[in-house]
Amino acid sequence: MTLMQPAAKHTAVKNIAIIGNPNCGKTTIFNELTGLRQKVGNYPGVTVERKEGKISYDDREISILDLPGTYSLSSNSPDEKIATDILLGKLADVKRPDGVICVVDASNLERNLYLVSQIIDQHYPVIVVLNMIDVAEHNGISINTEKLSSLLGVRVIPTIGSKRVGINELKAAIRNSFAESPATRQWKLPAKVLKEHEELAGLLQQHHHFSSELAFHEATNLLSTPKDIETFQREIARPVLDHVKKDYEKLEFLGFDRFSVFVESRFAWTRQISAAVVSTGKKKINYTDIIDSVVTHRFWGYIIFFSIMLLIFQSIFTWATIPMNLIGTGFEMLERQTGNFIPPGDLHDLIIHGAISGVGAVVVFLPQILLLFLFLGLLEDTGYMARAAFIMDRVMSKVGLHGKSFIPMLSSFACAIPGIMATRTIENQRDRLVTMLVAPLMSCSARLPVYSLLIAGFIPSTLMFGFWNLQGIVMVSMYVIGLISALSMAFLFKKTLLKGKTPDFIMELPPYRLPSLKNIVIQMWERSLLFLKRAGTIILAVSIALWFLATYPKLEKGTSSEKLAHSFVGQAGHLIEPVIQPLGFDWKIGIGILSSVLQREVFVSTMSTIYSVENADENSGSFREKVQQDIDPTTGLPRFTALTAICIMVYYVLAMQCLSTIAVMKRETNGWKWPAFQFAYMTVLAYAGTFVVYRIGLHFM
Amino acid sequence: MSKSKIMNTLAHTPVGTTVRVSRIESQPETCIRLLELGFCEDAIIRPVVSGSSQMICEICNTRVGLHHSIAKSIIVIPE
Repeated sequence: MTLMQPAAKHTAVKNIAIIGNPNCGKTTIFNELTGLRQKVGNYPGVTVERKEGKISYDDREISILDLPGTYSLSSNSPDEKIATDILLGKLADVKRPDGVICVVDASNLERNLYLVSQIIDQHYPVIVVLNMIDVAEHNGISINTEKLSSLLGVRVIPTIGSKRVGINELKAAIRNSFAESPATRQWKLPAKVLKEHEELAGLLQQHHHFSSELAFHEATNLLSTPKDIETFQREIARPVLDHVKKDYEKLEFLGFDRFSVFVESRFAWTRQISAAVVSTGKKKINYTDIIDSVVTHRFWGYIIFFSIMLLIFQSIFTWATIPMNLIGTGFEMLERQTGNFIPPGDLHDLIIHGAISGVGAVVVFLPQILLLFLFLGLLEDTGYMARAAFIMDRVMSKVGLHGKSFIPMLSSFACAIPGIMATRTIENQRDRLVTMLVAPLMSCSARLPVYSLLIAGFIPSTLMFGFWNLQGIVMVSMYVIGLISALSMAFLFKKTLLKGKTPDFIMELPPYRLPSLKNIVIQMWERSLLFLKRAGTIILAVSIALWFLATYPKLEKGTSSEKLAHSFVGQAGHLIEPVIQPLGFDWKIGIGILSSVLQREVFVSTMSTIYSVENADENSGSFREKVQQDIDPTTGLPRFTALTAICIMVYYVLAMQCLSTIAVMKRETNGWKWPAFQFAYMTVLAYAGTFVVYRIGLHFM
Repeated sequence: MSKSKIMNTLAHTPVGTTVRVSRIESQPETCIRLLELGFCEDAIIRPVVSGSSQMICEICNTRVGLHHSIAKSIIVIPE
C-alpha cells in the first residue's frame, strides 16, 4: 500500500478506465471507442496489460485505458493487480482515472454488479455498459435498463460491442454524463460489522492518510484477508494491525464469518437489484450444453483435441503449398530480373545471393504462418481455447500445474511472447514461473519455416495409413516433442526448483460463439506485417552481413566451395565444427545455428545465403535442390540426410534461440536470473536431445 | 427428512439437476474466489458436464470448470 491519489474532482473528465469481469467484451468496446485494434478473443485473460487509446471530441481529447478483466478489486493474479492498482490509485506512474466505464455482461448481471459495487465504493463517476444484450436476449433474459440506471444511480447504456450497437450513445455519455456526481454506496453490511469496519477505516485514514475511498477498500481487505495479518506489517502501522486482530476476535464472537460476510453482503445487494430488473423468458436451444458434452468428454475430449491439432498442422503443410510456390517463383523471377540489370560483380552478388536469396527464403513461409494464425484465431474466437485448458487440466495436474497454464502454452504455438504474457492470469507465482520457463518449448511460428524447409527437402511425401501425409506427421511430431518436453520440464521444475502444491482447477468457460472473421483477419494482417517487417529489417541485415562474411576474404582461385571455406564464415564454421559434430551437424549448419541465436527463422535465410554463395557459379536450382546436392567430398555421401534434417528440427524444438523471448522473460521476472537460466537449460536440453536422436537414428537410417 | 440428510456436495450432484449452494467448506482463499464467482449462499447451480476429475457447472448464466476436490467442498441442497 503505497500512495493514495485523491479521488477525482467531478469536472470534465480527461482519463477514463474501462473495467469489467473477464471476457465481458471490454476490449471490443475499447476498440470501437478508440478505433484501435487490440486483440479480442472468446476466453478469459486475453488482455493482460493496460492498453491506452484516445477518443476525440471537437473541444477535447479523452484518454481511455483498457484494463485486464477482474472479478473484484481483491487481486489474485498479476493481470488483476494491474487493474486494481490503477483503480485504487496505487501506481505512481499512472494517473488515477477521472471516471470508469464498467462493462457488464448482460447475461450475468448479478455477478457482474459485484465489481460495479466496488467501483462505486471508490467514489468514481461511473457509466455502466450493458454489453452483449443480444446474447442475453438469446438466453431469454431482458433487462429494464431505465430501472437499473435508477437503482444504481448511474447511467446505463445497452450495447452490442461487436456490432457497434450503442457505441454512439456511449460516446455521447462519455462526453456529457461523466461530469455528473458519482453514485453513492448502496449495499449494506450488518450493523455490527459496519461499526468495526468504520473504526478500522478511520484508523487507516489517521495513520496512513488514505483517502476515505481507499481506507474503505483497505479496511475490507484487512478484515477479510485469508493471509496472516502479520504479513502486512511492512505496509500497515502496528496500532492498526493490533486493532485488526481484535476485530477478528470480535467478529468471531459475534458469529460472523469474516471471509464471507463482505462478499455475501454485496451479493445480497446485487441479487436484489438483479431480481428487480431482470425478467427471464424462454431460453432458445443451448448449443453450448450439447457441444460441451462432446468436446469436454473424458475420452472424446482428448480425441477431438488431438484431432484438431493434427488437422491444423497437416493443413498448414498441405494448403499452403500453392501460395508458397507462387511466392518462391516470384522471388526467383525477381532474382533473374535484378540479375539482368546489374552487371556481374560484388554488387550483383550482394543483391542476388545476399539480400534477395536470404529474405526470399523466409518470406516464402508467410502463407503457412497466416494459416497457423487463422486456426489459432478460430480456436480463440469460438471459445474452444478454455475447453482445451479444461480437458488438459487432468494432464497438467499430473505435472503439478493448473489447467489454466495450458492457455499460455497453446498461445505459444503462435509466439512465446504472448504466451509468456498470458501467464499473468496465473495466481500462484511459482506456477506462473514454471509456465513461463516451459512455454518457449512449444513450437512457435518462427520455427515453422525451419521445419517446413527441412521436411519439404528431406521427408518423402508418402501417404501413411492411406490418408496421412508423412510430411504432415513429421511436422505434428515436432509439435508433440515440444509439448512433451514442456510437460516433462514442468514436472521436473515443480519437483525440484519450484516445489509447490498442485493448484485445483477453477476457471470460467465462455459460451461458444461464431468466430468473428473481422477479428481473425485483423490478427492475421498484423502478424503478416510483423513477419514481413522482420524479413525486411533483421533478416535482410543478417543476410547482407552473412553474404559479406561468406564472400570475404576472397580466394582468387578454386571452386566455390573452397572459396566459401576460405571466407570468414567458413573459418568460423570450421572452428565450431568439433562442438556440433557429435550432433551430426557440419560447419554450415553450425553457422546457421549461431546466426539464428537471436531469431530462429534466420537459420533459413542464413542457409539460403551460404548455399547461394557456394553455388553462385552454377546459378541454377532452388535452395532445396542445392542443399540436396551438397556432397561431402571426403565420404562422397550427401551432407544433408533425413536424419540430419530431423536432428536440426529437434534442436530447434528444444533450443531457446529468441532474443525477444529473453527480453520478455527479463521484464516479467524483473531480472536476468530466470532468462539466463532458461537460455542455459534449453540450450543444454537441445544439445542433449539432438545427440540422443542422432545416435539412435544412426542405427535405423 | 432432516435438512442434513438431503445435503450433498456439488461433485456428487447428477448432471442436469438444479441445486442451491448451502455453504463452502474449503480454504479461505478458495472460498473467497468461489464467492466472487457467484457461489454464494442460495445461488442456483446446475452441473452440465462431469468428468473423471473435473466438472462444469452453470451458475449465474455462466459456466465454471471446477476440479472435483473443489466441487466436493461446495455443499448444496435441492432447489
